[in-house]
Amino acid sequence: MMSAVSKTRRRSMQMNRFGPGAQALFHIVLGLFSLLCILPFIFVVIISFSSEDSIRAIGYSFHPLSWSLQAYEYTLRLGDQLWRSYFNSFLITLIGTVLSVAICVLYAYPLFRKDYRLRGFFNFLSFFTMIFGGGLVPTYVICKSVLGLSDNYAALIVPMLFSPFNVIVMRTFFQTTVPPDLIEAATIDGSGEYGTLPRIVLPVVTPGIATIALLNALGYWNEWFLSLLYINKNMSIIPLQYLLMRMQRNADFLAKNASMLGADASRAALELPSQTLKMALVVFIVVPIACAYPFFQRYVVAGLTVGSVKG
Amino acid sequence: MKKILSIMLALAMALSLCSFSQAADLPVITILFHGSNVSDDTAVLERVNEYIADKVGAKLEVVWGTWGDFDDKATNALTTADSDIDMVFTCSWSADEYNSFAKKGYFVKLDDLIEEYGADLKAAIPESLMQAATIEGAEGKGIYAVNGFKDTATQNTWDVNVTLLSELGYTLEDVKNLGFYGFGEIFAKAKELKGDSFYPFLVEPMVAERMVTNSIIIAGDAGSVNLLSLYLNPDDVSAEGAYGNTILNKFATPEYAAFVEKMHEYYEAGYINPALAVAETSNDTRTNAQLTGDYLIGTQSYAYGYEYAADVLSRGIEVAFVPCTDAYVDTTASQGAMVAINSASNHVEESFKFLALLNSDPTLMTLLNYGVEGIHYTLDEDGLVVFDETARSTYSPWTNGMGNVTILPDTQSEGKGFREAFKAYYAGAKAIPALGYVFDNSEVANQMAALSNVAAQYALALDCGAIDPATELPKFLEALDAAGMQAYLDAANAQLDNYLSK
Repeated sequence: MMSAVSKTRRRSMQMNRFGPGAQALFHIVLGLFSLLCILPFIFVVIISFSSEDSIRAIGYSFHPLSWSLQAYEYTLRLGDQLWRSYFNSFLITLIGTVLSVAICVLYAYPLFRKDYRLRGFFNFLSFFTMIFGGGLVPTYVICKSVLGLSDNYAALIVPMLFSPFNVIVMRTFFQTTVPPDLIEAATIDGSGEYGTLPRIVLPVVTPGIATIALLNALGYWNEWFLSLLYINKNMSIIPLQYLLMRMQRNADFLAKNASMLGADASRAALELPSQTLKMALVVFIVVPIACAYPFFQRYVVAGLTVGSVKG
Repeated sequence: MKKILSIMLALAMALSLCSFSQAADLPVITILFHGSNVSDDTAVLERVNEYIADKVGAKLEVVWGTWGDFDDKATNALTTADSDIDMVFTCSWSADEYNSFAKKGYFVKLDDLIEEYGADLKAAIPESLMQAATIEGAEGKGIYAVNGFKDTATQNTWDVNVTLLSELGYTLEDVKNLGFYGFGEIFAKAKELKGDSFYPFLVEPMVAERMVTNSIIIAGDAGSVNLLSLYLNPDDVSAEGAYGNTILNKFATPEYAAFVEKMHEYYEAGYINPALAVAETSNDTRTNAQLTGDYLIGTQSYAYGYEYAADVLSRGIEVAFVPCTDAYVDTTASQGAMVAINSASNHVEESFKFLALLNSDPTLMTLLNYGVEGIHYTLDEDGLVVFDETARSTYSPWTNGMGNVTILPDTQSEGKGFREAFKAYYAGAKAIPALGYVFDNSEVANQMAALSNVAAQYALALDCGAIDPATELPKFLEALDAAGMQAYLDAANAQLDNYLSK
């Protein structure tokens, strides 16, 4: 009896197992893939610690001729602006993520409820904007003149609050994980509409919410174009990402227009931050959001496996 | 739950409402500048506003556009008729290109205002600059922007590392006499002395091409890679060149063929850094080598007094600029930096008064450009400006983008009498015969896009000598013909004939 059990177990384990050759191959492929992902970032870190002379002499290299903390010293001397932008990035990401997830869930939930009569209409309303955008100029006019989104934090948060794509993802997630019977049962047990969503439905869909939250957090953290459009005078509220993009775009512009600007161009080039400084800022930008991943990962992985367990 | 929902709603509304509103008696006028590096303007604007309160009757606010974000900010403000931006920088090379934006009606026509309030302005700015700003706009022929008095002529020069040159046993005279086609022997010696990893010829390829062939930029031509050439007379820039007043396909002339052949020879001999032939690295490589003095001969589009600029002095070598031709006034240079008034502005009159004052009043110009005396700079015993490096690093606008730079005081690095010499130098610059001509490319926009793509593929590599012109140039010319070069060229020439006959 015992041996029969262990035999079946062994057999089932063998069914899930590959030969050592195949295993080695998978490890190598996945290892290489991981390297591809992590190497550029390691390279950025190395460049940020390289000395400017080394970059001038041999360009970017994994083995710089000499190391230096110059870029980080300079960044720290950026002082106020750096920390303020850092704070802004966190603030915008936090508020933006919470609000946008709330809006997304609150919009997607009725769309999933079959007993909601205007489902089709609101579904179409959000879907329509996914395909046809207003274009930059009308969007700008609406945001700036009608909504007053100019030189304030709201300008960096409100335009990205609603994403039809996320609503569709969330709605589909509701449909696949929340059986209508569950809601029915809750209603029978005396749960009102305001209680059903937070107490019954939300705990079931945490993986979906985590996914949306991750997408939105990334979106807010990496956003710089809104700052370019709507922040003109109040530079104290720009996020870190825009600080970096501005340096990058300045360098690009001078490169493109060097022949038009003549002597002004090389004068301006002197004011530009060095290559190492740019990389140091990239490190500043990537590290916090990279640290956020593990927290979300638990839920995202749970979301991936949730269906298979049921089957 | 209802409570939480209503709190969230209130929060969202509060967020969207917390815009900064300022109450002031005087109307606020806002100007959008280009190329600024300003993080703290409080001290300056405080004094500016004190100074202009009576004279202009308005309060100034500044949007410090940077090199990278100006184009987006300016086109956005103008195309959306944003009345929050009253004045905006414009010129022949920015995204809000002067001629086309004036034609589309984004700028206010200034002629009447100049008549009424512009006496000082007219006295401060040379007639030729007023002329250069006079164009065919939305409201007919007139002036649509206040033209800044800066280095208004173009002069391309060889940027020579004199320290190394004398080490090799040559003089500046030799550079002049040998010319581009004779540089080979100096390069060979430099390479011998400094080793294999040294690249003596530090070119901005497109500029080198214009310098050697004596061709100029046509305003309105494709921006990223110029396709058209008008040839100058190198001995007298105000006379017609070898081909008369005819615009040519830049890449189809014997001059161009000879230039790229020689460049290819230099490239093959290892005189030119291969990184210069790649669009992404070209400018970084060049600027880096230039700023560290790691070259023998380079190209530089020159402005008077550039020898004394901080970036030249910091190179650690002796630098000299050897001109190829006299300085010449062309459309591109004479519309190099202007400020226009947004036609959506609600404060046109105040804005113009401010611009007129900025361009004619040394106190205001100095304040806005150099900052506050005692904070951003001090005056030495000769009355020369000495900058405070720390304060200046939080406030350094782009001087030439503001207006009349000739009314600024001399700085210590420039020396006494600099502005006078500057003015004399540019007053003496001759105009090319086709001055004022701007190619309106709207009728051949499709061809221009196609041609730009073709040119982006070949031009830089050819100009830099990285590919063999014997095989690649014919392919390039064929591709250009297929993309509609003839139609593009015909349109440009028809407009030029029309312009010159007027």
